[in-house]
Amino acid sequence: MSTRVGGRRLTPYLLVGPGVAWLGVFFLVPLWNLFVMSLSTKRSRYDFDPAFRWDWSNYGDVFGAYGTQLGRSFLFAGVATLACLVIGYPMAYWVVVHGGRFRAALVGLVIVPFFTSFLLRTISWTVLLADESVIVRALRATGVLAVLRTVGWIDGDRLLDTPVAVVGGLTYNFLPFMVLPLYVSLERIDLRLLDACGDLYASGWSAFRRVVLPLSLPGVFAGSLLTFIPATGDFVNAYFLGGTSSRMIGNVVQDRFLVQLDQPGAAAISFLLMAVITVAVLVYARVLGTEELTS
Amino acid sequence: MTGSWGRRIVGLAALGGFVLLFAPIVVIVAFSFNEPAGRYNLVWQRFTMENWLHPFEREELTAAVLFSLRIAGAASLVAGVLGTLVALALVRHRFRGGALVDLLLVLPLTTPEIVMGSSLALLFLDLGVDRGPLTILLAHSMFCLSFVALTVKARLRGIDWTLEDAAMDLGAPPWRTFRTVTFPMVVPGVVAAMLLSFSLSMDDVIITFFVSGDGDANFPKYVYGSFQRELAPQVHVLSTALLVLSLGLLALSVVWQRRRATLSPGRV
Amino acid sequence: MTLHTSRRRFLGGLAAVAAGGVFAPSLLTACGNDAVGGRRLRVATWPIYIDVEPEGEATLDLFEKATGIPVDWNEDINDNLEYFAKIQPTLSAGKTIRADIITPTYWLVPRLADLGWLEPLPIDAIPNAKNLLPGLQRPTWDPEGRWSLPWQTGTTGIAYNRKATGGKEIRSMDDLFHPDLAGKVGFLTEMRDTLGLLMLADGKNPETASVADAERAIERLRKAKSDGQIRKFTGNDYQDELTKGSFAACVAWSGDIAQLALENPDLAYVVPDEGGMKWADAMVIPKGTTDLDAVAKFMDFVYDPTNAARITASVQYISPVQGVREALRAAGGDGAALADSTALFPDAATEKRLYTFRSLSEDEESRLSEAFSKLTGS
Repeated sequence: MSTRVGGRRLTPYLLVGPGVAWLGVFFLVPLWNLFVMSLSTKRSRYDFDPAFRWDWSNYGDVFGAYGTQLGRSFLFAGVATLACLVIGYPMAYWVVVHGGRFRAALVGLVIVPFFTSFLLRTISWTVLLADESVIVRALRATGVLAVLRTVGWIDGDRLLDTPVAVVGGLTYNFLPFMVLPLYVSLERIDLRLLDACGDLYASGWSAFRRVVLPLSLPGVFAGSLLTFIPATGDFVNAYFLGGTSSRMIGNVVQDRFLVQLDQPGAAAISFLLMAVITVAVLVYARVLGTEELTS
Repeated sequence: MTGSWGRRIVGLAALGGFVLLFAPIVVIVAFSFNEPAGRYNLVWQRFTMENWLHPFEREELTAAVLFSLRIAGAASLVAGVLGTLVALALVRHRFRGGALVDLLLVLPLTTPEIVMGSSLALLFLDLGVDRGPLTILLAHSMFCLSFVALTVKARLRGIDWTLEDAAMDLGAPPWRTFRTVTFPMVVPGVVAAMLLSFSLSMDDVIITFFVSGDGDANFPKYVYGSFQRELAPQVHVLSTALLVLSLGLLALSVVWQRRRATLSPGRV
Repeated sequence: MTLHTSRRRFLGGLAAVAAGGVFAPSLLTACGNDAVGGRRLRVATWPIYIDVEPEGEATLDLFEKATGIPVDWNEDINDNLEYFAKIQPTLSAGKTIRADIITPTYWLVPRLADLGWLEPLPIDAIPNAKNLLPGLQRPTWDPEGRWSLPWQTGTTGIAYNRKATGGKEIRSMDDLFHPDLAGKVGFLTEMRDTLGLLMLADGKNPETASVADAERAIERLRKAKSDGQIRKFTGNDYQDELTKGSFAACVAWSGDIAQLALENPDLAYVVPDEGGMKWADAMVIPKGTTDLDAVAKFMDFVYDPTNAARITASVQYISPVQGVREALRAAGGDGAALADSTALFPDAATEKRLYTFRSLSEDEESRLSEAFSKLTGS
């Protein structure tokens, strides 16, 4: 890459200036503000101007009160991420290997759901998972519901308004974020490698395991992050598809902030969530470099 | 995986994945032709064209869709301009702090929307800025900016920049070089990124929830709020229409880019 | 804090001005729903709370014909607390919200008045206010009748779907805890409705009960939640769950079910044997409303028995206006049948079994709301 130096030393700063300022004002400053709020206290329920006083107790309080939902959010998001990987990997792999000249179009298909409302797609799952829907009746008849009940994932004879439905909704909604990075990483692999492997190894599985999988790991990591992070903070799936024991931390923040007017509490929860995720991301970023997250 | 069984299993799994992706969309399209029995268009009754004949019957819904389109247009424009400039700087120049800028761009992607939403709401509250169309636009342009900068950056990497240098060496002034050489090379990536921004903004619920005032509703927020009393079939109709429209636009842009690619001097 | 504040103010203000200068003019004029010239009355209220048919002759049309003032009818209120949170920043800052009349539930009225967020009623300009039912004059939540006029009143009881209960009729709150209905029961996120009924089932009178009584009700709910008895806590959207049969039985508002039962005879509503709750949603005027004349004209209009009867026939709640029964009879047709409905005009025996939640001090309110919201909202 050629780089011009000299009189244009200022140019890059002029170029990044507005964008960086924008992100600074509307991303970094609010985060700082949120942090300040998380250390503030409301004197009473109808005190609308919480005072800043280095009050770390909010963190202990919200962790005590909403630790369950926090843990549940990571669990749900984790399971959904795993499910996305299991479903998304074959999709990306198949498109790369067998897509031929339709590759681009097939990848385009993965993005199509983005052109209908996320909310309406989630609401549509309430139709597909309704107690007497074809899908649920089939699952009931084949004993899948009975198995889920035995495992303890559902209580009754239904899917809607259960943790399973919420995890399913998360899996569905964030699947494209898994498939796309996987596709990008698989596409980079020279598939002739596979042929070569086919000659050397007896089984296709071991070729996959020893060659393709390791090479696609960056995609796996990037996809996992892009799925896991939005899933942990989501409240829409739990609202529409969940019941009384499947609320996530996003629902709590929404309730604390927008209904109960407990901004310090909501801020502390947000920050706690953010902190855990940031640590996880930094660890990943160390391993991969930020490039892989975004390509 | 080269074994025929393996191949079949992968094929089936992939097919399953695609079916999963499209199942709710099929529901949305189908239910745009449903004649609901009560207020909620959630149980299939019978086929009707009524909803499609009266797509704008719910005035608030139509207003919400128009509002969304307007916000998405403005947000992708802001994000498109600012993000492209950042991407150009990162790809074309090496400068102190570049890595930090990279990190700053990635951060919004690795922050849950609920955190960005609540922090922005707090900012606007503290500043005494009334939450409304403007705050929604600011918030949307913020998260779109990252997407644009990163997407455009990835696209710019694949461009042959020697052309630009050649133009300069031949004595073209910087602005002219930009207009005749740089700009045409950059445009397809920017357009794609702005389309992405547009759909991200159209679709945003969580952040919008926090930064909108009483009375403003974009499309998703309207659906969420009105779900307390109804789910009108017009919601399905307008969603389907938007889907068809955006697929059409996408197809057009692909065709346009293909044509550009064949004409572009960069791809001789 | 002041240091942060000033820095934030500077940065944020700069950005807002920059962005605003470029985009605000076109965007705001295009999106704002403030009327461009002309008088308009803006009402923020709950969903499906007025008649809309026949077109051109519904109450709002007739009001416009009579006064020349068009009405923006916004169904912005889905939950009292959520609506409160929505308008709080604006009213706290001393600015005006985008509504001239709002209709929160009775218990919120004294809170809004104490915060100084209400304009007193221009009562002299509302002659029809004399039609307010005697039982609703000077209620505990507005002892001088200074701030509010009820819009509709109603009862909270139990609604059930016979198809989903297996034909079983529901009589009391204890039925909701029966194992037969496990996972098919819904409760409202509106605290006073849900806790009031539970306290009644526990033999406590919500008009005098202690906080400890309410906490016992919360405890019972918590246990039912962890046992998987409760399918969901909902707001207005319980109607969808009930119609679909996802809820076999749930806590519900009288008028909703009366409306729904017209289309679905499997649905029924009952005031539990041990007693039900009685409430009112009241029209109040947010601080800063300038066109008090339009507000008064509207309140006067809907307190005319003929107009009130038209609204009642559509929304099927209990009208606070005297003379509605006679007006319904006089109108004849379907309306006349409603005049004899005990749901719309509770008889003395039912009236005796209805209670209103007592007013809570700020401390009591925080304690209960906290505990209740932790249960339902998470």
